[in-house]
Order: sequence, then C-alpha cells, then structure tokens
Amino acid sequence: MPTDTPPPAAPAPALSRRSFLRNSAVLASGIAAVAASLAPLRELTDITSMEQFLQKHYKELTPADMEQVLARITRDVEKQYQVRPHVADYKPMDGVEFVYCLNLTRCIGCRKCVHACVAENNQSRSPEIQYIRVLKMPHGSLDMEKGDHNYSPASVPEKGFFYMPVQCQQCKNPACVKVCPVKATWQEADGITVIDYDWCIGCRYCEAACPYFARRFNWTKPSIPKDRLNPNMSYLGNRPRRQGVMEKCHFCIQRTRQGRYPACLEVCPAGARKFGNVLDPNSEVAHILRTKRVFIQLKEEVGTSPRFFYYFDV
Amino acid sequence: MNQPTNRILNLLAAGFLCLALGFWFNLFGRPAVPAEVPLVDLAFIATNTARLSAADLIRTGGDTSGLECYACHDKKQPLKLKFDAESNIVLPKEHEDIVMGHGGHKRNNNCFNCHDETNLELLQARDGRQIKLVDSTQLCGSCHGPTYRDWEAGVHGRTSGYWKRELGPIDRKGCTSCHNPHAPAFPGRAPAPAPHALHPAIAQPEKESAHAH
Ligand code: HEC
Ligand code: HEC
Ligand code: HEC
Ligand code: HEC
Repeated sequence: MPTDTPPPAAPAPALSRRSFLRNSAVLASGIAAVAASLAPLRELTDITSMEQFLQKHYKELTPADMEQVLARITRDVEKQYQVRPHVADYKPMDGVEFVYCLNLTRCIGCRKCVHACVAENNQSRSPEIQYIRVLKMPHGSLDMEKGDHNYSPASVPEKGFFYMPVQCQQCKNPACVKVCPVKATWQEADGITVIDYDWCIGCRYCEAACPYFARRFNWTKPSIPKDRLNPNMSYLGNRPRRQGVMEKCHFCIQRTRQGRYPACLEVCPAGARKFGNVLDPNSEVAHILRTKRVFIQLKEEVGTSPRFFYYFDV
Repeated sequence: MNQPTNRILNLLAAGFLCLALGFWFNLFGRPAVPAEVPLVDLAFIATNTARLSAADLIRTGGDTSGLECYACHDKKQPLKLKFDAESNIVLPKEHEDIVMGHGGHKRNNNCFNCHDETNLELLQARDGRQIKLVDSTQLCGSCHGPTYRDWEAGVHGRTSGYWKRELGPIDRKGCTSCHNPHAPAFPGRAPAPAPHALHPAIAQPEKESAHAH
C-alpha cells in the first residue's frame, strides 16, 4: 500500500564506545578540576566552628549570647596560645566622645608608638601588621602622599623634616563604614569605629575606601609568639584575629573604655600624643582644642571629619 | 553536536585536566613564603622617659651619690665659680658629666641661676623661693611660664595612667625626666626598625632607584 507517512525518525543513537569514552574523560577532568580548585583547603588550619558560623550579628547578641561567645573565644585562645586570656566586651561610656591630638612639633619619629601598639593589640608579628605608620615629611609640606615611611637613619629627628604618625582617624563620617556590604564595621557612641572580626568577610572594600590607609588585611594566618600575647582582650578590640579579616586602630578599646590612656600615648618619650574625652572641658584634648591654634585634620577636603587632630605648638 | 564543537570541548577538557594535575601536585609552586620578620627589641615598647630625674633616681633606688653635695663640698666654704677667658664655665673632673648648654649665648651657664649659693642641696627660683632638688619642675616653671602652664594642663610633657581620673591615678612626669637641666634640648635617638613589607621586592622603591643612578 502506497503510503505518504514520513520515514520513521532515526533511532536515538546508542551510546557508542567512542562517546562513552569522551564523556567520561570530560567528567573526570571536571571532577579533577573541582578537586584541584579545592587544593588550598589542604592548607586550611583554623576552620570556622559551627558555633562561630551560626553566631548572630553583634548588635543582636543578648548578654547571655555574648557570654557564650566570650567563653568560646577564651577557649580558642587558650587552645592556640596556651595562655588564659581575659576577654570582655567593653561598652562605650555615657557622655564620652574620644578625640586624639598629636603635636607635630614634639614628635621625633622614633616609632615607639608603632611597636607599643603591636604589643598591646596582638597584631601579627610575621608577616608584620602595624596600625600606625610614621611618615617623614619635609618641612613646609602637609601632603601625606609626600611622606616616606621607610626612613632609618642612625638618629632621629633629622634636620629639615618633621614626623607625622598616621593611624585610624576615627572619622565622624567614616567612608569605610558606608562601603561595608555586611555591616561588620560601625561607629560606636564614643566615636570609635569598630570591626567585628567574626562578621567580616574580608572583601577589603573598607580598605579601599579609607583615605588614610589605616585598615590592614590579614593575608595570612597571623603569628604571635605565646610570650608576647597580651591576655587582656576585648571582643571589638585586640582579641586575636583570623586569616582573611580586616583590622585597624580602635583607640585601644580594652584600655580606654576602662578609663586608661591608649598604649601609643603611654610609650611616647616626647609627650607628643594627647587623648581624652572632648566632652569634658577639663580634659587635655578639650584644653588643646581651645588654646592651640594651628590644627590639621588630614585630607579635610574629603569630608570624613576625623576625630584625630594634628597641631603645631607656636 | 557537530565536529568542531566536539574538538573544542575535548581540547578544553584536556587543558583543564592538565591544569588540575598541575595544581594538585603543586607543579607551579606556592607563592613565595615571606621572610620571617625578627621580633622587635623590647626597649622599643618600654614606657621609660628619656632620662631619670633626681626624683626618679630616688624613687627607683638608683645611684644618688651625685645628689649629696656635702659629701664633697664644705658647707661653710662659699663656692666660687670659675670661668675661662671666653666666659665658659670651668668644671672639675668630679662634674665632668655636666655639659652646660641651656639656651644659646652661654646665657644660662651660671650654676647659681638655679642652684642655691647658700645651700647647694637646694634650688633657687627666680623669685628667691628655695626649692628641693626633687621639685625642680617649680624651678623650670619660674623661667618657662607658658610651657609650665601647658605642663600643668597636661599638654606639654606626658601624663600617663587614667584619662578618667575617677577610675585611677595619673603619673605626670617632671621636666627633668625628659630634659637634662644643664643641656635641656631633647636628645636624638635611634628609631625602631622601619616596617617590613609583605612583598620584599616592592619594599624599598627608594633604594632601587638609587641603584639605577
Ligand atoms: C664627688 C664629689 C662632689 C659632689 C658629690 C658634688 N661636687 Fe660640686 N664640686 C666638686 C669639686 C671637687 C669641685 C671643684 C672644687 C671647688 O671649686 O670646690 C666642685 C665644684 C662645684 C661647683 C663650682 C663649679 C666651678 O665653676 O668650678 C658647683 C656650683 C658645684 N660643685 C655644685 C655642686 C652641687 C649642686 C652638688 C650636689 C647636687 C655637687 N656639686 C656635688 C665635687 C663634688
Ligand atoms: C637651669 C638650671 C640649672 C643650672 C644653670 C645648673 N643646674 Fe645643676 N641641676 C639643676 C637641676 C634642676 C638639677 C636636679 C636634676 C634632676 O632632677 O635630674 C640639677 C642637678 C645638679 C647636680 C646633681 C645631679 C647631676 O647631674 O650630677 C649637680 C652636681 C649640678 N646640678 C651641678 C651644677 C653645676 C656645677 C652647674 C653650673 C655649671 C649647674 N648645676 C647649673 C638645675 C641647674
Ligand atoms: C634662669 C631661668 C631658666 C631656668 C630656671 C630654666 N631655664 Fe630653660 N631656658 C632658659 C633660657 C634663657 C633658654 C633659652 C631660650 C631661648 O634661647 O630662646 C632656655 C631654653 C630651654 C629649652 C630649649 C632648648 C634650648 O637649649 O634652647 C629647654 C628644653 C629648657 N630651657 C628646659 C628647661 C628645664 C627643663 C628647666 C628646669 C630644669 C629650665 N629650662 C629652667 C632659662 C631658664
Ligand atoms: C615627656 C617628656 C617631656 C617633659 C616631661 C617635658 N618636656 Fe619640654 N619638651 C619635650 C620635647 C620632646 C620637646 C621638643 C624638643 C626639641 O624639639 O628639641 C620639648 C621642648 C621644650 C622646650 C623648648 C621650646 C618648645 O616649646 O619647643 C622648653 C622650653 C621645654 N620643653 C620646657 C619644659 C618644661 C619647663 C617642662 C616641665 C614643666 C618640660 N619641658 C617637660 C619633652 C618634654
């Protein structure tokens, strides 16, 4: 019978030997590539615990939650350094706004502040993380981009130069806080911009946003010799950090929220550093802002409004 | 799928496989481990002042023999200062550690501008007040009024301890903890080491350009 039905569709091609080999090769290399891309995991040593992973945002933690978090940090530090720390979550004091004043006529560029800060705040020693950079500046210039931080003469101060230590300026209008995509950094009531190292994802946006190069990133696992660990720790301050998080100067929260001066001030042999509560008219900083005349807020034009003032004695 | 697509896929697969093997067996090497940074000398984190004043010496139990003037001097014998032809003070070897250099033009090299002629163990301020050696800040204040007022407000010199006075004590260093009264210009010192860069290659652009010349 003549028929005009179309010829039956070609049967689905059977899995040929050749295509089987090809597909499995593709599959194998795919799996190998995935495995290879995970190779760095072989080097991972401090894996985030489930407890830490499930932790809530700092501002949502109840006092009871915080107690547990502090207990976990105490445990972790003790395990890693065999030193029992005292970890607390110090809160801002009422009626306190911190301000720093630095006398550029006095500073001799000895860098003691840099190292006192490292010791107090448990920064990594190797590779080195430092919150304070001391810039050597030619007289007559205030352009921090012209500063040199690699100077190492036999003796400081050198003729024709002055020295300008730069650290976090604790801005009233902080660019770093605005760019953080996860709200891991914020400004507290006493003016200190803090970082929650458990919340930071290490995207480094804040580092890029800061006009003062004040933020530091932990590229590797920090290393601190056990005998140099400062056991007096605060949650938002100097507790040990992980690889992959940001850190910066926090005005020594663990000292200043207990009423003490920060470590960089205590070590300054020239007395160039002044710190205190600007809302208290009897404080040194209030006195300086009232009586000294020449003030510099670094890069005033970018509108960050630093709480860190540089001045010259006249 | 047509012939050329297949070939490209095969090539890609082979490429990835090679890369994967390379990564897994670490054929390309890990990034260079940065050199170990030496620990900083603990002297750089010590909070000591530039020098020990008479008061500091007594407090810390240091050598105070230099402060006992009448171990060598005679209380009844008035002292005569000796000056050379250029009106520089001439000092015996017992006082060779004293190098006068207080202000320019030898203006202040008369020992009795500060020390009391009638009792060496005391100081005498400009207004005639007698002051104990350990209270020399008062003496400095009698000539350096504005600096002294800054010091009183905690602005010149260093105040350590508690910014919140209700919570703890403060320690305000006297002038002679930082300034040698006989040559008060603040002395120079060796700085702590410069920062070590994470990548040594880009650490010292300055030195590199110096080589190029
Ligand atoms: C180690 C012994 C010794 C001690 C301690 C000592 N002196 Fe003298 N001093 C001398 C001698 C020796 C002379 C030189 C002889 C002289 O003129 O009587 C001298 C000279 C002086 C002079 C005169 C300087 C000049 O032009 O020659 C003064 C001023 C002086 N002493 C002050 C003091 C004071 C102040 C003290 C205590 C803070 C003191 N001395 C402690 C040994 C000492
Ligand atoms: C500007 C004031 C001033 C002048 C000028 C001065 N002295 Fe002094 N001198 C002091 C003070 C203040 C001390 C206490 C030092 C301290 O606290 O470290 C002192 C301490 C001393 C001492 C004991 C400690 C030491 O450094 O050995 C001697 C000795 C001494 N003076 C001798 C002299 C002699 C000699 C002269 C003159 C050449 C002289 N002084 C000039 C202010 C002065
Ligand atoms: C008798 C007055 C007098 C007394 C007391 C005095 N000074 Fe001076 N001081 C001077 C004079 C004058 C100068 C020079 C000022 C100038 O050249 O402009 C000076 C300069 C200085 C300088 C600047 C550095 C230098 O060498 O030029 C310092 C620092 C200083 N004195 C510290 C002190 C200290 C610390 C004391 C207390 C131990 C003190 N002075 C006591 C008069 C005094
Ligand atoms: C913590 C250390 C320290 C103390 C304490 C201190 N000074 Fe100074 N003083 C300095 C330094 C640093 C300089 C800058 C010196 C320089 O550049 O050579 C200085 C400078 C000076 C000068 C030179 C003028 C000026 O303002 O640059 C005078 C005068 C002076 N001091 C007086 C005093 C007097 C008086 C006291 C005590 C009331 C005192 N100092 C306490 C560290 C100190």
